[in-house]
Amino acid sequence: MLLGPVLAVLAVITLLPTVYLFVISLTPLNLTKPGTAGDFSHIWQNYRYMLADMRLRDSLWTQVKLSASTVAFQVVLGFLAALLLNHSARVGRIVRTSLLIPMVLPPIVVAIIWKMVFSPDISPLWWLFNWFGWNVPVPITDARFALGSIVLADTWEWFPFTMMIILAALSMMPEELVEAARLDGATPVQLTWYITLPYLRGALLVAGLFRLIDSIKAFPLIYLLTSGGPGTVTEVPNYYIFVQSFNFSYVGYSSAITVVLVAMVCVLSWFIVRVVSGGDRAE
Amino acid sequence: MRNRNAPTRVVLNAAIILLTLLILMPFLWFVSMGFKSNDDIMAGSSSALFVPTLANYASLMTRGFIRPFGNSLEASLTSTLLSLVIGVPGAYALARAPLRLERPLSLLILASRMVPPIAFTIPYFLVYRYAGLLDTITGLVLIYMTFNLSLVIWLMRTFFESTPRSLEEAAWIDGASLWLTFRRVVLPLCTPAVMTTGVLCFIFSWNDFFFALTLTREQAMTAPVEVVNFMNYQGWEWGKIAASGTLILLPVFAFSLLMRRFLVQGMTAGAVKG
Repeated sequence: MLLGPVLAVLAVITLLPTVYLFVISLTPLNLTKPGTAGDFSHIWQNYRYMLADMRLRDSLWTQVKLSASTVAFQVVLGFLAALLLNHSARVGRIVRTSLLIPMVLPPIVVAIIWKMVFSPDISPLWWLFNWFGWNVPVPITDARFALGSIVLADTWEWFPFTMMIILAALSMMPEELVEAARLDGATPVQLTWYITLPYLRGALLVAGLFRLIDSIKAFPLIYLLTSGGPGTVTEVPNYYIFVQSFNFSYVGYSSAITVVLVAMVCVLSWFIVRVVSGGDRAE
Repeated sequence: MRNRNAPTRVVLNAAIILLTLLILMPFLWFVSMGFKSNDDIMAGSSSALFVPTLANYASLMTRGFIRPFGNSLEASLTSTLLSLVIGVPGAYALARAPLRLERPLSLLILASRMVPPIAFTIPYFLVYRYAGLLDTITGLVLIYMTFNLSLVIWLMRTFFESTPRSLEEAAWIDGASLWLTFRRVVLPLCTPAVMTTGVLCFIFSWNDFFFALTLTREQAMTAPVEVVNFMNYQGWEWGKIAASGTLILLPVFAFSLLMRRFLVQGMTAGAVKG
C-alpha cells in the first residue's frame, strides 16, 4: 500500500532521467542550435563518433592511470594504517578518529587545501624547497606531475575509507587464528602475509571496488587543481563530458559518453553486489 | 599487545602519532590560515607563530557570504526532511512486504549512489530549463533526492528488518490500524535510526559541489560553489578563502566524526548491510 508510491517516486527521480539521458544520446542535441532536440535521423551518430574521438580515448587512458594508482595507494596505505592502529588499542582509538578527518571534509574543502599546498607563494613546502635552494616546479601546472598531484590529494582524502573497512574486518578476525599461528612460531611478517591478508581478501576487494567506482566520478579535485590541464593531461571522461556539455553545449554527444560511463559503473556495482552477497552465503 | 615488549610498543606508538600529525598537517595549516592576517600568510616560514585574528571571518559576514550558506542549509535540510518523510514509510513497507526484490533493489540503490553525477545533471538540466527550476532551491532539493531517498530506503529497511514484529502484531490484535501501528509503535522505536539517517543525508547534500555548480547561477548558489567563485573572481585572498572553507566544513565535521561508523555504512549503502 505504501510501497507502490515510494518505489514509483524512486523510479521517477532515478530511472526516468536515465532513460531520458539515453534518448538524448540518440540526438545531436546542441543547446545553441534550435531543432537539434528531436532529430532522430542518425541515432547512432554520437556512438560512432566516440570511436573516432582521440580526446575521449586519451581521457580513458588518463582514467586508467588515475584509478589504478589511487586504488592501489589507498588499499595499501589503508591496509598498513589499519594494521598499525590495530596493534595499539589505546593510542589507536584517538588516532583512528583523527585519521578520518580527510575523508569527512567536504570534497571542495579538500580541493582548496591542496590548491593552497600547491601554491608556492604561500605554501610552507616551497619555503622549505627555497631554503634548501631547490627549484621545484609547481606540480599542478606541470604536465609531468599534474596527474601525480591529483593522485596524491585523492589518496590523502580517501585512504581513511579503506582503512575503516579493513579495521572493521580486522576487529571480527577470530583470535584463535592468530594465536594458533603464533604458537606455531610464525613471525609477525609471516602472520600478516599468510593469515591476516588472506582473511581480509573480501574486505580489501570491496574497499578497492568502491574506490575504483568513485575514482570514475572524481570531480572537485580535478576541477579546482588542474581543470583537466595542463592541456588535457588530467582530463578524465567525467570531466571531458562536463566540458563537452557545459562549455561547448554538445549535450547529445556528451549524453552518449555518459551512457557508456553509466553502463560501466552499473557493471562494476553489480560485481560489488555479487561479491558482497556471495561472501554472506559463504559465512 | 601481550607478548610485545615495552620499548617496541613505545616506538610503535610514537611512529603512529608522528604519522598522524604528518597526515593532518595540511588540514591544520589550512584552518590556521583562516586566523592569519594577509601579512602573516605571505611572511614565509616565520609565520608558524602568529597573532590570531578574526578579521577574515568578520569580512565574510559583510560580504554577503551569508546568503549562499542559507541556500546550502535550506537545500540540504529540505531534501533531508522530504527524503525521510517519503523514505521511512517506504522502507517500512519494503521490510514487511513479502517481496523478492533484494538483488534488483540493492543494485538500483547502489547504482544511484555510484553513477557519476553528470548522468543525472544532463536530464535534470534540460527538464529544469523548461520547468523554470534552474537556479532554484527546489531544483537542488529534487536532485539531492536522487541520492538521499535511496540512502533512506536502504538504511531504514535494514533497520526495520532487524526489529521484531511481535510488538506490531500485538498492536494489530488490539485493533490498531496499519497507520496507527506505524505511528504509535514503529516510529518511536526507530527515532534514533531516523536521526542517524537524516544526519547522513544532510552531510551528503551539504557536501555536494557538482550539482550546485551545474544547476545554479547566483540566486540558489550554495556555499561550496560560492567559495570557488570567490577564488576565481576576488583574487587570491587566502585568509578569507580558508575562513570560508572552515565555515563550510564546520557543520558536517563534528557530526561526521561522531558518526564515523554510520558514515562508512552510508557510503557503502546498497552493498554492505548494517
